[in-house]
Amino acid sequence: MAAMRNRLSFALPLTLAVASLFIFLPFGSSAEFSFRSYSQDGKLMHSLAPYRWIVEQPEFLSHLLLSFKIALFAVIFTAILVVPSVAWLHLKAQLFRPLVELITLLPLVIPVVALSIGVQTAFPDWLQSTEYELPLMYVVLALPFTFRILDNGLQAIPLKTISEAARGLGASWIATIFYVIAPVMRRAVAGAFFLTFALSLGEFTLTSLLHWDTFPTWVTSVSQQNIIGAIALSVFSLTFAFLVVFFASLSSSRSKKRMDATE
Amino acid sequence: MKSGTLELAGISRRFGQTVALDNLNLTIGAGELVALLGPSGCGKTTALRIVAGLERSDAGTVALKGRDVTNLSAHLRNMGMVFQSYSLFPNLSAVENVEFGLKMRKVERASRRKTALELLELVGLDTQSKRFPHQLSGGQQQRVALARALAIQPEVLLLDEPLSALDAQVRTNLREEIRRLQISLGTTTLFVTHDQEEAMAISDRVGVMSNGHLEQIDTPDVLYNNPASTFVANFVGTMNHIPAEQQGDLVSIFGKSIRVKNSNGISGSISVLVRPESIEVSRAAGSGNAKVITRSFLGASSQIICQTPDGAVIQALMPSHESGDLHPGEDVTLNVTLNEVLVSHV
Amino acid sequence: MTNSYVSSKGVSRKGGTFARRNLIIAAPLLPLLAYLGFFFFWPMFAVVVDSLKNNDHQWSFINFTTIAQKPYSTAFQNSILLGALSALFASIPGAIFAYIIEVRGSERLKGFVTSLSGVLANTGGVPLAFMFIATFGAQGSAIKILKALGVDLYSGGFTLFSFSGIVFVYLYFQIPLMVIIFSPALHSIRSEWRDAAKNLGATPKKFWTTVGIPLLFPSFAASFLLLFASGFAAYATARAMTVGNIALVPLVIGTLVDGNVQVDQANVGKSLAVGMVLISALAMIPYLIIQRRARRWQQ
Repeated sequence: MAAMRNRLSFALPLTLAVASLFIFLPFGSSAEFSFRSYSQDGKLMHSLAPYRWIVEQPEFLSHLLLSFKIALFAVIFTAILVVPSVAWLHLKAQLFRPLVELITLLPLVIPVVALSIGVQTAFPDWLQSTEYELPLMYVVLALPFTFRILDNGLQAIPLKTISEAARGLGASWIATIFYVIAPVMRRAVAGAFFLTFALSLGEFTLTSLLHWDTFPTWVTSVSQQNIIGAIALSVFSLTFAFLVVFFASLSSSRSKKRMDATE
Repeated sequence: MKSGTLELAGISRRFGQTVALDNLNLTIGAGELVALLGPSGCGKTTALRIVAGLERSDAGTVALKGRDVTNLSAHLRNMGMVFQSYSLFPNLSAVENVEFGLKMRKVERASRRKTALELLELVGLDTQSKRFPHQLSGGQQQRVALARALAIQPEVLLLDEPLSALDAQVRTNLREEIRRLQISLGTTTLFVTHDQEEAMAISDRVGVMSNGHLEQIDTPDVLYNNPASTFVANFVGTMNHIPAEQQGDLVSIFGKSIRVKNSNGISGSISVLVRPESIEVSRAAGSGNAKVITRSFLGASSQIICQTPDGAVIQALMPSHESGDLHPGEDVTLNVTLNEVLVSHV
Repeated sequence: MTNSYVSSKGVSRKGGTFARRNLIIAAPLLPLLAYLGFFFFWPMFAVVVDSLKNNDHQWSFINFTTIAQKPYSTAFQNSILLGALSALFASIPGAIFAYIIEVRGSERLKGFVTSLSGVLANTGGVPLAFMFIATFGAQGSAIKILKALGVDLYSGGFTLFSFSGIVFVYLYFQIPLMVIIFSPALHSIRSEWRDAAKNLGATPKKFWTTVGIPLLFPSFAASFLLLFASGFAAYATARAMTVGNIALVPLVIGTLVDGNVQVDQANVGKSLAVGMVLISALAMIPYLIIQRRARRWQQ
């Protein structure tokens, strides 16, 4: 048995090496591309010129801010609609949980392309002419995931019991929400918000088919003007996504360690 | 049954900086049920897993019927093991679980099915043979696990806290069943637990472990009445520690002079170790030597907690009909009903 | 669940019926359901209705007979093939990678892999396309490395913009997706089962054939289905990777939406969408059923 273990002990490093190659070679290659520019006499140089070009584009900031705004509103709509519903589901309406869970899984079944057609067909003109139709739809797209995150987060907590305890000790509903319910939901809610935000920032299909122009679609259109600029934009977006996820996972593991230490 | 002697010699194991086992020596006779008892982290489970071959030791040997099995792979050791929980294969029915070991030994289908059903009958679950683990209660699952371990006619039966995850009532019933089966089959058994009542109730001998050491291994009787160390005295059963003064080989307690069993001859402050059932409580004629704090009616016995003027809290256990109706606050006289006592030299 | 409701409410209150009390509990959930009704069910309903109407606004199956023929049927074939192939070539490496990480990785590594997979599973579109062009395009870094090693992929007429090229690019997000959705199943293989099997005389191979693989198979199949649906329905990457040479259903719908519509095909896009939904549902519904069942014993 000891011999067998040694024989397989290279499995992990080997796998990680192959995986790293698979992940980082494309990323590194496009990163290398993204620094390229050509001098007057056609020689290849590497500099920050493409990135400077991007940032100097007026549309860069305007599109980025638009995407941020849309993502923010998607989070706000989720906060207003989904969070209280899941809390209520666990608090008083346990009976309906399986049914609601099933319903929230339905958006997974429908391809986004088909949903886009549906939106285009069904929605009244006034709704289709405002960019807020995007965050309203993103709530639906994110629902299977946000529901699951919130639901799982609440599974571990006896919400009904602690709320009844608070009420029994004289807390009003507002106080119970503020002091008891909200704090225990904090982590799950943060996760749901994070997911909604990330999904909204990167959403392309619905945006493009509904003829809106946000950051992801702008990146696509830039590719027709300035290939290297577009590559630089792609590298920028990916790096940003990597970093955010990296720091998010660091903070969650730190808080997890803190929680484990108190046991 | 072809059970034999199990011998551990010099077993040591460390995980990083932590020493899990330090030179453990243990011999279990053929057909004996020995329990390893101790708090979490004392090394008992590690020792068991080393015997099973699921962990390797840094040093030392494991021998079965004189044969060294230290380097033998786990799946060749022919030891039956029952885990704390969740060890039944969820995709197999109860009978399929029980016959698994026989299937691995290439026993042919009809024969192994018959053996498996017999064993399920032995643990009282023959009617549930087609059920799947998730359809069985915790107690039922552990009985299937027991049948599964016994199906391969193991030379040693290993039990890793098999009752810890069960309800109190189920626990008591199942431990009796395990003991009954073990005796009738004559299987050498090593049983790991942190529940001292459990260990004492069914074992031939109990080994108390702490921090990777075997503190004492003896019959439950000896362990209870002659604990070799303060740790053992405290871990097994309840023990009162009553501060007193030792003079030579005697100690004066509650007005009586009693001989010290483990005397080192030096006079000074010590703690007298007395079990609750060795303390007699009677209503005081005058002011007595203690006051009652609480009295708990436990059925046949009553537990009476008293406090002496110098603050020592003492637990007594008496037959209910002798304890009368003592009330909290009453003055009582305490008396130690032993001729000699153990003390701890703090 | 039903029990907790009954015991907490006790005897029916004066004047309230069982149904009425249910309604009161359900009421706060209505906003969510109404929202879904408006923003989800109604659009889909509208699409289905329109797909069954011809250009004269009468009920007709003409749109569906149209998409059953070329060129639309070709698009369906291509999309289905793309979904199946990308699922096939991603599910096995993904499962193996997830297994090695699960069994031999530290907690920190597992967390890192999960987060990273989350990011990679969502990469697509132009950024992904450019990454691959930079790596495997004619001037790509990997091509140069392979050339230095004596392998010239392009001599055989290889191009990224072919069907196989697209499948290859899809692997970049399909494999991480597999890792994400399959890892929980691997996680639920308890060490007690492996130890018990070992103790009963099973070699690792025997454990996997009698216990491990049977237990994992439903989740593996479910994951495969999800990957299929993902590859079938992907839009952004398909758009970035084709130069109009390969017909895929999402892309066809896209061009129809862009207004390049001939008048007699007004509702064909809608029937294409319905077709997509049917195929997607065919994969996703079994996926959801299997996952729900698997979660029960994984608990």
